[in-house]
Amino acid sequence: MASNKRQSILPRVQAGPKAPVNFSSSITIADTAILTGNHTINISSDSVIHPRSKLDSSGGRVTIGRRCIVHERTHVGAPGPAPPSSSASFGVLLEDYVTVEVAAVIESGETTIAEGCLIGIGARIGKGAQLGKHCTITAKSVVSPGERVPDYTVVYSNGVRRLDKRGVNDLKNKAQARQIEVLRRLIPSNPAKFKD
Amino acid sequence: MSRKQPKGEWIETDTGNKVNRKANLIGTQHIMLGGKTVIMPDAMIRGDLARTATSAAGGPPGSNTAVFIGRYCFLSKGCCLRPPGRIYKGAFTYMPLRLGDHVFIGEGSIVQAATVGSHVHIAKDVVVGEFAIIKDYVRIMEGTIIPANMVIPSFSIVAGQPARIIGEVPEGGHEAFELRERYKSVKTNPLAAGS
Repeated sequence: MASNKRQSILPRVQAGPKAPVNFSSSITIADTAILTGNHTINISSDSVIHPRSKLDSSGGRVTIGRRCIVHERTHVGAPGPAPPSSSASFGVLLEDYVTVEVAAVIESGETTIAEGCLIGIGARIGKGAQLGKHCTITAKSVVSPGERVPDYTVVYSNGVRRLDKRGVNDLKNKAQARQIEVLRRLIPSNPAKFKD
Repeated sequence: MSRKQPKGEWIETDTGNKVNRKANLIGTQHIMLGGKTVIMPDAMIRGDLARTATSAAGGPPGSNTAVFIGRYCFLSKGCCLRPPGRIYKGAFTYMPLRLGDHVFIGEGSIVQAATVGSHVHIAKDVVVGEFAIIKDYVRIMEGTIIPANMVIPSFSIVAGQPARIIGEVPEGGHEAFELRERYKSVKTNPLAAGS
């Protein structure tokens, strides 16, 4: 059944241009991930791209750091509500240890997500927003375009913010590494499909 | 999404499950359907995230099913079921996700619960956090965000971000959770498909 299904979605996958990619050899990328756009998509070592996540570089280069996890149904590099400006030097930059949860959307246009951030389920990061280190964006929160979020901020969906003073970054990074180890075993990786 | 839905897109299994071909089932060998369950297009089940840590007792082989679904469940368009994961005994592992009978999951809802009881109604755009436990006869209103590890007692009505218990299911309101009629209303026969 799996092969059946895959064929039926193929036309949709090819709707956009196939993006030029630059993969590290140690990444895990699911067969059904969608990489589209005309700028380069860089994925650094140990990162995991879940099935059905969409990386879109049509609004600029998309860079994913080391040990990031991009969950299913995410849309990294989504076009914002405003027409894309051609002045953006890059689309989206995810630094190391970033987790993008299910169905989150990160708009394109010099959007920077610093190290250790967690983008919760269904959250939306506006175009050009800059998240500081180790931020937590909880489920369904919205970070407006161009906003700068300081380091260690926790953003709640009702607008409340606070600082994360737990100081558990090292533990979080360790947990992320463990999770990646497991995901690498569970998700069949097929980076060759995305290369030319 | 915009593509027109061709008719005759359903698979009906021996146990009466109605699965749309557009549904996104990953790791089907780890998904257990109890029967008479409807899976609408674009629903996603992450069966591939199966348990990796073996229990100390060494359970029977084939026991690493990731998603258990009871009878008469209804998974709407665009919902997503994924097993919760955590660090357990020093290693990261996913844990199974169990759904009882007559569980309705609304459009675009994401469920990462540990257990969902029977006769549970989850409206659309709900997020159920990791390792949440939802008991029987619970109604979850639209747009609710249930934080991780929350336990919701039976007969609760839950809403809000984060979720709070805002009421109780009224006396005699239990029939509303029945999903048999809903199951019957899904026509897998292309000629009879009216909606």
